[in-house]
Amino acid sequence: MNRAARYLCGLWLGVIVTLLYLPILSVGLASLANTRYMRFPHRDWSLGAYADALNQHETLVLHLTSLKVALVVSVLSVALATLGAMAFARYDWTGRSLFQKMVVLPIFFPQPVLGLALLLFFTAIGITPSWKTAVFAHMVWVLPIVTLVISIRLFGYDPAQEDAARDLGASRWQVLREVTLPHLSPGLVSGGLFAFLLSWSNLPLSVFTTGADTTLPEWLFSRVATNYAPVVSAIAVIATLASVAAGLVVIAGLRLRRSRRGAGSPV
Amino acid sequence: MNQQRLGLLFMAPVALFLLVGFVSPIVIVGWYSLMEPRSFELTTVFTLANYRTAFTEGYEAPFFWSLGGAAVTTLTCLLLAWPTARILHALAGRGAAVITALIAAPIFISESVRLFGMSLFLMPGGGILAGTLRTLFDVNIGSVLNTKLGVYLGLVYVHFPFVLFPVLLGVALIPPDRIDAARDLGASRWQVLREIELPLALPGLVIGGLLAFVLCIGANAEAAILGGQTVTVLTRAIEQRFSYAQDWPMGAALTILVIAMTAVFVFPALARLDLNRLIRR
Repeated sequence: MNRAARYLCGLWLGVIVTLLYLPILSVGLASLANTRYMRFPHRDWSLGAYADALNQHETLVLHLTSLKVALVVSVLSVALATLGAMAFARYDWTGRSLFQKMVVLPIFFPQPVLGLALLLFFTAIGITPSWKTAVFAHMVWVLPIVTLVISIRLFGYDPAQEDAARDLGASRWQVLREVTLPHLSPGLVSGGLFAFLLSWSNLPLSVFTTGADTTLPEWLFSRVATNYAPVVSAIAVIATLASVAAGLVVIAGLRLRRSRRGAGSPV
Repeated sequence: MNQQRLGLLFMAPVALFLLVGFVSPIVIVGWYSLMEPRSFELTTVFTLANYRTAFTEGYEAPFFWSLGGAAVTTLTCLLLAWPTARILHALAGRGAAVITALIAAPIFISESVRLFGMSLFLMPGGGILAGTLRTLFDVNIGSVLNTKLGVYLGLVYVHFPFVLFPVLLGVALIPPDRIDAARDLGASRWQVLREIELPLALPGLVIGGLLAFVLCIGANAEAAILGGQTVTVLTRAIEQRFSYAQDWPMGAALTILVIAMTAVFVFPALARLDLNRLIRR
């Protein structure tokens, strides 16, 4: 590539990334003034909206509801997806290809439609929607994704290692604990992180399936559409930073572990 | 134990969950769609009245809007993702990994936040863009907020990262020597693109395009936040049947039509794709 072409390519990437982050940055900028109407550039820059956000009990309740849902979704999804991934990627069985396609089907499905269908389903079988039904709804969409994430890890796994361990006298439990799980664990951790972040940020499923409970994205959506106030921007920033922090901590943990074990295994 | 039994054993929990959480809601919706209009009970007296209404009483507007919006968005995303993926693939190394991660990260930021940000950015008068331009350059600009164009931009913005990933996987499927060989044999740039690159990267393009298309068919937050009252999208039309109109069977019939429409695109594409090959690498 000559210089001009390189320059153009760099410019293209720069423009794409900038466009992707401008709206997110805008929320941050809007949160830095505490006036009733948004008038940028702000005359008085202030952190007042954050003080208001932190003083509202609702902020805490919203975060706790989202946290509760996201944590339960991650734990249950990783547990189920680990089993599913074995069938997806490891064992060779008749029907595997059908199973693989069935698993990815919910990913290729309009989410609000899934939310509506689930709401009708819960009502029909007499379950009152709450954060627990939202967990169930999120899982229908998240479980297939986590299964894929763990499967990708599993495709790079050589089952002969297990035979070798067994030949050396390891018990079934030891093989699982010392061979299989250590290899799979980066996949389990990234799968868990995916599940957490996707659940934390989900709007279309939550809107229809949380009943009287409200998650953060749902609350933001309702406040954005109707009465805007700077405190909405502040809470949006806090919620986003919380998930960024969760992501960074997990990624750093994975890195640390990999560098400790030596750069032996590719991700 | 043999592989067959292990496979069946391990697939059972996931399959069971999806049977309850994915298949049975669709069955229930299908059942409701065959009930008498405005009834709330599931009985065994079936009628096609709701489907007749769906085709005769002006529901085509939201259907066409959502389908058209999905098609335009998918095409735009693919056109943007192709050069981006090619550049990232050619760049390789650490820089490319960081940029890829930066493009992917918004997937994990809520649509509420991202679309809200977009409306703040595009807002007329005191919005981030308009306000900055006025202060720095003394230019006053209009706004695409509350127009159809605004909704399209929102759809592209939200779905672009979903398309980029599969397209990157697709681009990685192109062996570089194949392009060199074609060039050596005298193929033009356009011929290389049309006869070598696009066909080899097709699985990624299909997955990315399909994902964007399907997600856009149901998308309603974009129209709610950026569109004002200018468009009624499909999901909104259905939701109104369930809530305001209290006509569950009608809402259910429309839902089934959307699902059928989705299936028409998804099944043939999935049937041809080899997931093992694409994921294993």
